[in-house]
Amino acid sequence: MRFDYSDEQYQLRDVARDFFAKECPPAAVRAAWDHDTARDSQRWRKMAEMGLVGLTVPTQYGGLGLHEVDLVLLLEEAGRAALPEPLAETTAIAVPTLVEAGTPVQRDEWLPRIAAGDAVATVQLAGTPSAQAAVVGSALVSAAHIADLLLTESGGELHAVPAGRFEAVAQPSMDGARRLFTVRAETGDDTRMDGGVEAAGKAFDRGAWATAALLNGVAQRLLDMTVAYVQERWQFGRPVGSFQAIKHKLAETLLVVETSKAATAYAAYALASGRSDRAEAVSVAKAYASDAAHKANTEALQCHGGIGFTWQHDLHLWLKRGKALEQAYGSATWHRARIAERLFA
Amino acid sequence: MDLDLNEAQLEFRDEVRAWLRRNVGTEPLAPSSTPEGFAAHRAWERRLYEAGYAAISWPRVYGGRDADLLNQTLFDEEYARAEAPARINVLGLGLAGPTLMTCGTPAQCQRWLPSILSCEQIWSQGFSEPDAGSDLAALRTSARREGDAFIVNGQKVWTSLGRFADWMFTLVRTDPQAPKHKGISFLMIDLHRPGVSVAPIRQLNGDAGFAEVFLDDVAVPIDNLVGELNDGWRVAMTTLSFERGTGLGNHLRFSRDLQALVRLVRAAGAADDPLVRDRVAQLYIETEVFRHHSYRALTRLVDGKPIGPEASLTKLYWSEMEARIFDAGMRVMGPYAELTSDAEQAIDHQHWQARYWYSRASCIYAGTSEIQKNIIAERVLGLPRQPRG
Repeated sequence: MRFDYSDEQYQLRDVARDFFAKECPPAAVRAAWDHDTARDSQRWRKMAEMGLVGLTVPTQYGGLGLHEVDLVLLLEEAGRAALPEPLAETTAIAVPTLVEAGTPVQRDEWLPRIAAGDAVATVQLAGTPSAQAAVVGSALVSAAHIADLLLTESGGELHAVPAGRFEAVAQPSMDGARRLFTVRAETGDDTRMDGGVEAAGKAFDRGAWATAALLNGVAQRLLDMTVAYVQERWQFGRPVGSFQAIKHKLAETLLVVETSKAATAYAAYALASGRSDRAEAVSVAKAYASDAAHKANTEALQCHGGIGFTWQHDLHLWLKRGKALEQAYGSATWHRARIAERLFA
Repeated sequence: MDLDLNEAQLEFRDEVRAWLRRNVGTEPLAPSSTPEGFAAHRAWERRLYEAGYAAISWPRVYGGRDADLLNQTLFDEEYARAEAPARINVLGLGLAGPTLMTCGTPAQCQRWLPSILSCEQIWSQGFSEPDAGSDLAALRTSARREGDAFIVNGQKVWTSLGRFADWMFTLVRTDPQAPKHKGISFLMIDLHRPGVSVAPIRQLNGDAGFAEVFLDDVAVPIDNLVGELNDGWRVAMTTLSFERGTGLGNHLRFSRDLQALVRLVRAAGAADDPLVRDRVAQLYIETEVFRHHSYRALTRLVDGKPIGPEASLTKLYWSEMEARIFDAGMRVMGPYAELTSDAEQAIDHQHWQARYWYSRASCIYAGTSEIQKNIIAERVLGLPRQPRG
């Protein structure tokens, strides 16, 4: 029994961290806000060359053939960098879903292209809970404008729909580096995947887990920025970080962010090893990560004071990514309700 | 990452499970705060000792089993699952023993460890004083050298198990001129020596679990000094890191508490109340997260990575979680929460009320939650120290 990442997994994290520091600094995230697609295709290509995009693609299709426990730290780093590209959608959700529920033709068509960096994927799952979706009639889909492949759930079935057969209507949203759309897809016998409801449920759980991992990275970045800022900022003749009122906020934040990473690690393990408590482990991870990121968000802005409330300061890039992801793939409240269903069954 | 047990671990777990099944009685022992209950708990400790389970993580030379922390965790899990009696010599086994192994001389280890292990001698902790709680280094109990002894004068308070204890590991001031952290030494004091008097303190839950200890010209042989003279603060920090790191093996106890909370909610007819469901689900999440945190921390310890000030994260987490679990139980009980255990309408022997009050103590002892947050902020996050007197 061993519950920690391996040295190789930590090395991969370090590689990803160095890469994002160079290729996705705050200025690049800010540039994505102003860019017409918010996507840097060069960055994606480099990520593919390093094997990051194809991390979960089986080796016979040109990927690294790794699983969720190998991927979780990469996702955390992507959150920490506020990466604009849809790594979670492509590598954490679409690829394993294609592997497990795609037809042989679909796998042959898409997996090599994804691993090579030639195709980007996104997903639209009916399982995404939202009172608004029931009213408006459509779930919101991220990165649909740049997606070459859409995995969509329709009538309890999953479909793999290529670009050209779905229409994306932009829905302007608060995080300019994470574009949202409503999507209408043309499904048919030729797009149907195997696996049905079971596969769609698992795809949703992968999305919730991957979002938790991204949130842990976002929360860590918010905490790091705040810890640095409260040491630079002096008031009353001393750094504001020397005041207990500030220290306690940040200590509480570290506690929930650190422990959230352990919960997300377990959810990765449950997904990768096919454990029967998968859905529950994912709900634990996503509910806790959403609340931890909420805490980091609140305290980061409060401890930055006025400067944090400006457009010019980078903080809001992460504040908004965090707020967006808190609600994606089920809010904390939704996941707690799912857990209560089991506890009181 | 692999949570499956290997063959040796499975074998060990089954062995412990079988032994506990044979040996744990069906009725709980009388509370250890009473003399007869204490005797019963001591007899239980003796059985654990004779079976080789008193402190499995201790080295073999001192009667342990050299068990690594994961095996220790398996043991703790089985112990909680079997609802075996609360351990009474935790301060000896968990703090005095490991401190001696880390900072004591071989002779001191030979002298004290066997009787800690066998529970022949019960240990207590003499750190806090009336004017030295969170600001522990302000302690004033003095020890002055006279020949081959220290003459100790002062008062200790909140001394757990003080009533029943034979020994107390104690912080004393040996150099009143030095800066406050530099003039402290770590002494082992025999509580049966002349000049020691112990007065039990009645706690708000009615138990007399801890005591005040008065030290009046108590002669303590210099051989009882652990670590160097005036280096007691460092030794005490070692002890506190064991204290704050404990709790890692307790995750199963909290999971069982949570299951009991679910049963309580059902019995109270509150299982359909969406606010109660949300609360209980949140607490379930917290117990699960603590289990994952514990396994991760234990794995890192096994890998030889020191736990350091991160131990404060563990202590802060579980103590605050425990308080929330029992607070939720009290709320679910509604007006019945007020009854005491001898009331005809008492629920579960008012176990929820007793644990509720004790959970509030958990947020105070071994460094209050606020002190833990200071440690986390200053020593983990690296924020500037606040000016201290």
